[in-house]
Amino acid sequence: MGSEKRIVITGIGPLSSIGIGREELWKSVSQRKVNIGEGGYPLDDGDWERYLFHKIDKFDLSNFGIDDESIEAIRQWKDGEEIIDLNYLLAAIKLALDDSGINYRSENNQISLVLSHENLSLTPFALKMSHVAYDLLNGKPDGIPKRKLFDGIFHSCVRTGYDVQAFANLFHIARVFNVHDYSLFINNACASGLYALEAASDIIKSGKNPTAVVAASDYPDIYKFLWFKDLGLYSEDGVVRPFCRDSNGLVFGDGGIALVLEEFKHAQRRGAFIYAEYLGGGFSLEGWKITVPKIGSDSYQKAINEALTRSSVEPSEIDLVSPHGVGSQPIDYYESKAITDIFGKRFERPFVTTFKPYVGHNLGGSSLLEAAILILSLANDTIPATLNCENPDPKFNISLVRESVKTKLKTVLKTCCAFAGFNAAAIFRKVNV
Amino acid sequence: MIEKSDEVVEKVKEIVADIAECETAEIGLDAHFFKDLEIDSIKAIELTVAMERAFGVSVRDDQIKNITTVRQASDLTKQLLDKKSKS
Repeated sequence: MGSEKRIVITGIGPLSSIGIGREELWKSVSQRKVNIGEGGYPLDDGDWERYLFHKIDKFDLSNFGIDDESIEAIRQWKDGEEIIDLNYLLAAIKLALDDSGINYRSENNQISLVLSHENLSLTPFALKMSHVAYDLLNGKPDGIPKRKLFDGIFHSCVRTGYDVQAFANLFHIARVFNVHDYSLFINNACASGLYALEAASDIIKSGKNPTAVVAASDYPDIYKFLWFKDLGLYSEDGVVRPFCRDSNGLVFGDGGIALVLEEFKHAQRRGAFIYAEYLGGGFSLEGWKITVPKIGSDSYQKAINEALTRSSVEPSEIDLVSPHGVGSQPIDYYESKAITDIFGKRFERPFVTTFKPYVGHNLGGSSLLEAAILILSLANDTIPATLNCENPDPKFNISLVRESVKTKLKTVLKTCCAFAGFNAAAIFRKVNV
Repeated sequence: MIEKSDEVVEKVKEIVADIAECETAEIGLDAHFFKDLEIDSIKAIELTVAMERAFGVSVRDDQIKNITTVRQASDLTKQLLDKKSKS
């Protein structure tokens, strides 16, 4: 790796159904906690649909110590409407910055910002259009002129529609945290978080800033649920069972996550606590279908091998792998094939565990949220069990951990195979071991 | 290039037989992939990959789960080939 800058993680700010903040989340994982709630969307004649998901029960943005003035500016722009996943991003970033001890309020704070999200503000826009169209047409059995309908929808929804554009959200968040340097918004579906992590690492390595905050979030809503239900990918009983014979789909999860990445020497100089080093990532784009992995291709293997090569890590050095683990037979097979192709078919190391049974599928935030739990596992020398897997499927040939294990961990791998064939892998190592 | 209808059916049968690990003679036009041939959701994707490669067509994501018999697979392939020839 020569004189290349080393990248370390010095702040972790998670929000999830089982805990807000690093300590609460890890405590809940250690206790195998799960918190499932019910969602839906009210219409005049009852709920549109009801669905189960991993729910954050209590969330209040005012509890996070973010300056009221900057939040008020967002509320004014949005006419008072609260955008849940934007709020999750704000809270996660504040938690991570507080955890790292970095003072973002100082002038010239030298912080870069990388946000990732799959669909920020899209559902509020879609729902508002539906309501406006209904109101315009209600009580008019002969309809209304097309131009009147289009004009009405445009004028009522233009502000909400504007916010679907990623830059508007980047603007709001950067303003809150006094970020005036390099900033970026990334969308690579469920792998967004790992792509954002790599981008943040590159920013630091390029010398733009010694510190970069990378953040992601998502929340379950009716549109996402209906989409996944139509695809046959949503678990009706609200239980995700990765790599099991009786897996029947994924379950969404509320959440957000921010990590503070820092140049190693910069972190050392200020005496920061270092959770782990980010050794590097690997990425590939399969380019076959949007919603189906190409069984038989070697695209996922390519991403994992690239991460190993770039990190100068041998497969035998990986202690623990945390794959996407969505609990869908084809995707579980696709993942287990990549893992066994690289690490061999053996029921030893690397151990494999998954975190969606704890926090659900946080979509665009999932890979980074799960990377954070993996880093906490590394820091605590503990492998949390994969929950809900009473009937592991032997055809997957992986060493799935079903009871939590306390064991020395040094190097861990997070992988993700996302919609559209975005495959990603990231390797983390404990520092000074 | 395969153009004739019966050639499409025969080629689809060959692909299905290969995936299901059985003889083509054992596969009826309406044999159900999941119920009769033990083609699960994983093999269904392998089948789609093989069909696309053999016929040079592209099956849409949401059509994959609806392909459950040789007849359906052949009809879809013919539709896609027809569409391709007109474009």
